[in-house]
Amino acid sequence: METHELISAVQALEPAAVPREKVDRAAVVAPVERFLELMARLRDEPDLRFDMLCTHTAIDWIAEARLELVYCLYSTVHRHYLVVSASVPREAAVMPSMQALWPIAEWQEREVYDLFGVRYTGHPDLRRILLDDDWQGFPLRKDYRDDFMLEGPK
Amino acid sequence: MGLITEKLPALVEPVPGGSVLLSSLDAVINWARSNSLWPLTFGTSCCAIEVMMAAGAARHDLARFGAEVTRPSPRQADLLVVAGTIVRKMAPRLKLLYEQMAEPRYVIATGSCAISGGPFIYNNYSTVRGADEIIPVDVYVPGCPPRPEAFFYGILMLQKLIREGESLRTPGVRRKPVLAALPAGITIEQIQQELRELLEPQGGRR
Repeated sequence: METHELISAVQALEPAAVPREKVDRAAVVAPVERFLELMARLRDEPDLRFDMLCTHTAIDWIAEARLELVYCLYSTVHRHYLVVSASVPREAAVMPSMQALWPIAEWQEREVYDLFGVRYTGHPDLRRILLDDDWQGFPLRKDYRDDFMLEGPK
Repeated sequence: MGLITEKLPALVEPVPGGSVLLSSLDAVINWARSNSLWPLTFGTSCCAIEVMMAAGAARHDLARFGAEVTRPSPRQADLLVVAGTIVRKMAPRLKLLYEQMAEPRYVIATGSCAISGGPFIYNNYSTVRGADEIIPVDVYVPGCPPRPEAFFYGILMLQKLIREGESLRTPGVRRKPVLAALPAGITIEQIQQELRELLEPQGGRR
């Protein structure tokens, strides 16, 4: 499916989804309510069939006090990509887990939890994956500091 | 007095002496050691492609310097080549590998990351700022990554170091081309003061 067709198909499923501008692939920003339902529809609709979660990551927009969670989807049936993102507040970052839809999301969400501190509801085993188990804080947050870090020259 | 000769063996070599037999044996043993360095390659990133793969392959051919027998086990190696970034989670493993190696053991740190942390030195939660924070390093090979020629220069430097530096009477004590850090409690002013006293006895008269 072409980019504009994909975006209109997503907007048919979720009217509040906003397409992103200045991107080279179809990308939409969806509201965090009903997000799990939207992702389930994206996976199961016969025209869409996003059966693969390529990447899940996060962006820390510290000035706006929100974390943007980014899901990169791919369809091995129709061979098209879609990037879906949703924002959660920085201080209370809670998101439903996509683990039931794509099993790989279990590890990808563990990584985002490890580095950004997003709590996934419904995740079967939410613990650190890269850092040590007793690590304090979430180092990819922009305001992270610890004793080991060396301040750069201004 | 005695600060330089006792606490800084890396900077000042003791005056060679002793019997002729001992020093000739030293020369033979060190010559043999320097020409059969078996490296344990600790490749964690892009430097490994240059100094392990390209340097070992046919075009550059590490075998010309007798160091081609790369070992996967620290028990059989005597040269640890730290090729790549060392993160805090990897640091205890690197130290363990170094401690598992048999004496005499030598360490070459190749590339910016293994020397100082390289591009990851500032505002980084994970990268150790240089292999010499964990283990003693004999030769530093700069570059990002260094070319195989630079690595060979480092190998030749280490061979020279082994041939000159170590002796049977003082195993493990050798001259280092770069001193990683001063020992604790010794400042550069103390060393300069002692050198001044040594070089200029009786009030500055030469």
